[in-house]
Amino acid sequence: MDETAVLKSLRKGILNTAHIGRDGNIQSCFSSLEILWALYNGGMNYTPENRGTPFHDRFVLSKGQSNLALMAVLAECGYIGREELNSFCKINSRISMQADRTKFDGLIECSAGSLGHGFPIAVGMAFAAKIRGSGEHIFTLVGDGEMNEGTMWETMLFAASEDLDNLTMIIDDNGSINKMLKGFDLTKKLEAFGFVVEKVSGHNVDEIKNALQKRGGKPTAIIAKTVRGYGCKTVMEDNSWFHRYPQDDELAVLCREVDEF
Amino acid sequence: MRKAMQKAVGEFISSDPMSSLLLVDIGVWAFRDLLREYPSRVKNIGIFEPGTVGIAAGLSLLGITPTIYGISPFIVQRSLEQLKLDFVYQKTGGNFITTGASYDFSTLGYSHYCPEDVITLKTLPGFEILTPATPDQFTRLYKACANNGKPTYFRMTDHCNKNEAEIEFGKAKLIKSGKKGTVAVWAEMLDAVVESCRDIDVNILYYTSAVPFDYAALQECTDSKLVLCHPFYKGTFSDDVQKTFGGTVEICEIAVPREVLRNYGTKAEKDMALELTPSGIKSKIDNFLK
Repeated sequence: MDETAVLKSLRKGILNTAHIGRDGNIQSCFSSLEILWALYNGGMNYTPENRGTPFHDRFVLSKGQSNLALMAVLAECGYIGREELNSFCKINSRISMQADRTKFDGLIECSAGSLGHGFPIAVGMAFAAKIRGSGEHIFTLVGDGEMNEGTMWETMLFAASEDLDNLTMIIDDNGSINKMLKGFDLTKKLEAFGFVVEKVSGHNVDEIKNALQKRGGKPTAIIAKTVRGYGCKTVMEDNSWFHRYPQDDELAVLCREVDEF
Repeated sequence: MRKAMQKAVGEFISSDPMSSLLLVDIGVWAFRDLLREYPSRVKNIGIFEPGTVGIAAGLSLLGITPTIYGISPFIVQRSLEQLKLDFVYQKTGGNFITTGASYDFSTLGYSHYCPEDVITLKTLPGFEILTPATPDQFTRLYKACANNGKPTYFRMTDHCNKNEAEIEFGKAKLIKSGKKGTVAVWAEMLDAVVESCRDIDVNILYYTSAVPFDYAALQECTDSKLVLCHPFYKGTFSDDVQKTFGGTVEICEIAVPREVLRNYGTKAEKDMALELTPSGIKSKIDNFLK
């Protein structure tokens, strides 16, 4: 199966899993999917072989609402069993709406949930890697809406002050913040806070992978332009899909739209 | 106590290369040598407590034991969500040392008071809450807990007890034995309690730890009348007493009332206003034991 087909298959799987678990942030998951796929398919130094060793790259999902997409990617890459996705949101499941490090043995680096938490923790991990001299690179996925949180900016100050060039923040820029704030120029702000800024299409896996390799002697911010609900017409156009799961009569329709996209 | 803290933290940082100290722009002069000696892992990183606690969690998750030094309300209240989600939920450890106690910064006003620190942190399961009140007690507790893999709060006070009790982590210490009841006392209230009970025939049981709580000592000492005396908001130990005794023991609580503290003055003047002086305490205990 080629990459486009795999990503379509993952989107349909996410719809199906949300249907089974009766919950989902489908728009966010579809917005982040190519970024997560790129990270676990060559974008960072993390493989089934080296993940058991202490010194591999690490990924922190700060934008917690994309967890179902992360789980779908981890299953596709063989880190968890595909059948486990069917336990999504069940009482004793390891998999819920938010990433949970306490349920996994090292596979999830950081629990998510409240926005503005994962990024500061990723900064601390990059700082720790400098102290350890371990050469790990820390990648973190944040949402552009998450950039409203004060903790993002206060810890960016520290990351820049410490020249944490082993830190890459990927911003899933699906236009959330500009719906709330006028004239929010993310690029200028990130540059002013001491980050090297790269811009990519957040649905182009090759562009994302290239940007993930960029190192500029400072912390890096990749602004990945994305579309909420990308890859499915109805989910893109109807914002109720930010937090909603497909009903019985909707699942097949949405999956067909994914195929037709 | 500050000097003892600086020494204990300095020794820990010097002895463990997998440790880090983060200052929130306080204690910078006191830690100047440590800042110079270990510039890669001892940092004055500025005034942003929630972000600092988040960064500390990242350090901890990758095996570097963080110690943060800040002012009580800005660590406990401003950063409460980080303590809850970044440390407690993630099951990772760190040390949070604060200055200010309940109202040590008496002239700085309500923003710098924190009589609610202990009851607030008690809502976080697994968070250790320690309340040393002499330099030696701080040193003992920090050495016992600094590297134990748990989130631990060290509440310092500038008004140390003159009564030096040799304490052990997690254990209450019987200071005096008596027959008419038991006074359980925390932190810097010990001196006032010892003085107020000089002529009262009671047990004095001294705690330097709110969590873990020494239930066994309280149960062993207490018959029918129990006085709780502490510099925290009233109700801080209600759940512990309920768990130990149900409703079978008569309780008198002498503590900071749950009010917005709007006055200034000195620590002693605040104690007087809140009737937390030896004479105020004695009067309440006498009335209770009648």
